[in-house]
This record gives sequence, structure tokens and C-alpha cells, in this order.
Amino acid sequence: MGITMPSIRNPDLSVTIGKIKLRNPVIVSSGTFGFGEEFEDFFDLNHLGAIISKGISLKPMKGNPPPRIFETEGGIINSIGLQNPGFQEFIKNKLPYYKDLKTHLIINFFGNTQKEYIELARRFDRIPGISGLEMNISCPNIKRGGIVFGTNPHMAYRLVQAVRKATTLTLIVKLSPNVTDIALMAKSAEDGGADAVSLVNTFRAMAVNIYTQKPELGNVIGGLSGPAIKPIALRMVWEVSQAVHIPIIGMGGIMNAEDAIEFILVGASAIQIGTANLIDPKTGIKVIHGIRKYLIRNKIGCIQKLIGTFG
Amino acid sequence: MPIQTDGMVVSNKRIKSVYYLLGINCTPIADQSKPGQFVMVKVSDDRSPLLRRPFSVYKSYPVSYPEKRKRGCLFILYKQVGKGTRMMTTLKRGEKVDLIGPLGNGFILPPLPSSTNIILIGGGVGIVSLSPLAEALKGRKLFVFIGGKTQHDILCVEDFKIFNSNIFVATEDGSLGTQGTVVDLFLSQRKKFKRDEECYLYACGPVEMLKALAGIVKLNNFVCQASLEARMGCGFGACWGCVVKTNHPKTSYQRVCKEGPVFTLKDILWE
Repeated sequence: MGITMPSIRNPDLSVTIGKIKLRNPVIVSSGTFGFGEEFEDFFDLNHLGAIISKGISLKPMKGNPPPRIFETEGGIINSIGLQNPGFQEFIKNKLPYYKDLKTHLIINFFGNTQKEYIELARRFDRIPGISGLEMNISCPNIKRGGIVFGTNPHMAYRLVQAVRKATTLTLIVKLSPNVTDIALMAKSAEDGGADAVSLVNTFRAMAVNIYTQKPELGNVIGGLSGPAIKPIALRMVWEVSQAVHIPIIGMGGIMNAEDAIEFILVGASAIQIGTANLIDPKTGIKVIHGIRKYLIRNKIGCIQKLIGTFG
Repeated sequence: MPIQTDGMVVSNKRIKSVYYLLGINCTPIADQSKPGQFVMVKVSDDRSPLLRRPFSVYKSYPVSYPEKRKRGCLFILYKQVGKGTRMMTTLKRGEKVDLIGPLGNGFILPPLPSSTNIILIGGGVGIVSLSPLAEALKGRKLFVFIGGKTQHDILCVEDFKIFNSNIFVATEDGSLGTQGTVVDLFLSQRKKFKRDEECYLYACGPVEMLKALAGIVKLNNFVCQASLEARMGCGFGACWGCVVKTNHPKTSYQRVCKEGPVFTLKDILWE
């Protein structure tokens, strides 16, 4: 069997994020793809560009009290609260499954303090089978969860700089949209030494039940995701693309290939599928096929020629 | 193993008040579905509602089922409550529905001595998941307690009549059977049964009902398997949105969709 060379009929979908060469730009987002194994009954995970793990902390986290999820018009508000088994348990019981896959594994992680972020980066750095790290400085669901770092450009810069020194793995910084100037936050991450930024995480949101006169979520406040946030997320990716030189991984309400292409056109080198995984577990695959078709139809031999070409 | 696939609507009719019965031909799911398992239904092609909705499987007929017409079909008995279920009522014969299933761990059927009293307690639409369980327990004598707000909320009585069962009905307004909750009724009938340890309970219903039942189970030596209802994100374990607090030593919040929906009732820590 020979190697098929990329051509207009067989476009090259590969993109590079830091040291990671992705076979295509479609990544599944942290917290919406479990530990991978939940999806194996639905499709071959090896087709994905990369998988991002659920957020991992040093110590186990029990998460927020239920109800943790509430559907709104075109979106969902969640307050899972970063429930995860902690570093040790993750390495022992969850990592082996990912290691058997041929796609890239990116670990999403977070800490309560700068020290914890550094410690985790250092520990993951020594473990084979991990392609990169996505640093969560943006979870809206817990007081600690990084949001303090994610809303202050100077603190973000210092944190990224410190974590950068602790790992040689590709370092992606996941940004919060709950800021006045997201481009400034992206710039801080770039200046701190990040290889890429991913955006956006969820928007702080809430819902009230007028019959019980109580909040719909156990944690009162959660994060809004889904198609409802797409126009705002897209604007933010566009703003960031004008401010930084490192690759951008765009996300926020991507439901299909058309949505993904919009993000790529405004400057995203890769995209993440989040909420859509919960509704149609095969969304990732469908988006890959859709992007390929789009390139063929428009006679574009290589996806890199599409990135940021809007306007 | 859960599958995502299109099924084809074979029937969809109102059975009483706000309750409907939807029949779907979907062999891969019908063929492997067990009592207590559920399916996630994509109600609309549109983005509203966005998420799938979970429904317990009411009846499922494997490909080997003698009656040809029913082979590979599964039935969902649902209550019209919101936008999603209202849209479901408009599904017509021949239309496609996107399903994921069968999901979750169903009821466990341990070998029980013939002297054990098997007691089924269902509240509202919760009785639906106990009907296939009764079918699986065929031949055993069952005590079935069915409760609802009014007579219009009492479902599946006929299903249990064909089995060797004693049926007790309670409505909160007293319009059918005894007035009160189904748990009250069960308590009032306690002395009918032998010693606690010779009783085995299966329950499904709203949180309030299960909470009340948990109090009784705790005081006695009952073993009770309970199927929980929860708001779900995905239904297959990815999002951790549908958790319930349990006495699990490591992971206190367990997923209703994955570790459940059936739990040992005394393991649930009610908040």
C-alpha cells in the first residue's frame, strides 16, 4: 500500500500545535468526553485529531452537589465542579485506556495554587503517552479551579511562565471568556511561554425555578455552553487571533463542520467539540468529514490555507 | 453495549390523560435491552430541545420473539411534561428517531428462595420500568404497589394482572384505591408479609417517594433495588451531570446513567 499524497481530492487536514502534529484539527473537549472509553461503543476514537482528558487535579475532587446540569434555550448550564479521581488514580486507572489509542492525548489539569499547577505539570511531564497539557485557568464552577488566574493578566502571565519551566510538553492555556479583554489574557499566556491558547471555556450563568423559587443548579452558578454561546466565542477567537502569534484552538457551541469552519476562518488552527459530544457522540467524526468535503468542494488542498483567511 | 442508531416509529398513541405509548422498531437496541435499562431519545432534529431525553424501556421484543409484528420493537411509555415530550407526541408512524441505548445497569435478579416475598413499588411513571421486571420474574408471586397523584396517574395495572400478583393502588387524592402515598400504603400492608429478611423490594419513582421508602428500608432489614430518575446530560457517562450522592468509599457522587439508574437503596445518601 502506497502513501496517498495530499491533493485537492484528498486534502491535507493536518495542523501543528506546539510539538503536536494533529492528523486533523478536530479535538474533543475536556469534561465532555469522559475518560474516552465512554465513547468507544460509538466510533473509532483513533480518527480524532486529539482527545483532551477530563480536568485532573493533584488530589481527588468530589464535585458539586446535584442538580449539576440545566438546559436553557440553545445551551446547557453545568456545574459539575471538576469532579475527578486525582492524579494518582488517573494514572493508575484511566491513563492505560488512552495509551492504547493511536490518537494524541492532551491532559487538562488545574490546581488550587501556583505550586499545585507546577507540581502537576512536572509529574505529567515524566509520563510517556501524553502529547501535551491543557492548563485550565478558567473553570467557572469552583472558587479555586483557576479562575483567579484566568481573569488577571499579570497573574496568568506569572503562572504560565512558572508552569512553562516545569514541562517540555506542548502547553496549551485554556482561557475564560468571563473577562473584559480576552485578547489581553491570550497575550499574557503567549508572553508566559504557552505554545497555544484554547478558548472559550463556559460563560458564568444561572437559572431559577419560579415554581420552587430555588436555583436550578445545586451550585447556583454554572457555566453556559452550546450553540447559544457560539457568536460570542467566535468574536473572541477573532480578537485573540489579531493579538497573538501562537496557534489558537477555538471552541464554543460547535455543533457541525460549518460551525468549525467559521472558527478556522477567523483564525483557529484547530477546534474543540464540547457540548455536541453529549448530544451526538459521533459529532467529532462528522465534523472531520464535513471539513474534508468543504475543502474538496472549494478546491483547497490543505487546511492551513484556510486558517484566518476570513475578511 | 449501547448503540446510536435510527429507529422507526411504528405507533404513537395517547393511552390516558397525559400519558403516551411510543413504539419504535429498532432491532439492535430492542434485542439487548434488559429490565430497568433506558434509552436516550433525540426528540428534535432542531436545536430545541438541545439535549436528548432519557426514557426507561417499557417493553422490548428481541428478534426471536414469536409474534412477528413485534420483533425488534421497543416501547416507551412517557408522560407529556415539557416541550420535548410535547414534540414526541407528534411523532408519526414511519418517522425516524435517533436513539442511544440500551443504557445503564438494569435491575439485578438474584436467585431468591421461593418463600421470598418480591415486592414492587412504583410511583407515577416510575411503574413503567417495573413492568419488564415483572415479566422477567414470571412465575414468582409478586406484591405490586402502584401510586400516583390521581386515578389518571395510575399506570400499567393491567400488565401486572397477567402475572401472579397482588396489586395495591394508592392515589394522593383518593380517586382510586387507598388515599395517600404508595409508601404509606406499603407500610400499612407490612404485616401481610413475612419477616423483613424474607422480603425483596424493587422500586422506581420520584425522589420524594424513594426518600420516604429509604427511611423504611433503613429501619428494617429490607433489601431494595431502586431505579432513580435524574436530569441527564448525555446518558452514557461522559458528562457527570446526573450524579447522586452515595456511600461509595472513593467516588461519593455516582452517575445515575452509568453506575445506575438502579442502585441499592440504602447506598444512596439523600441530601
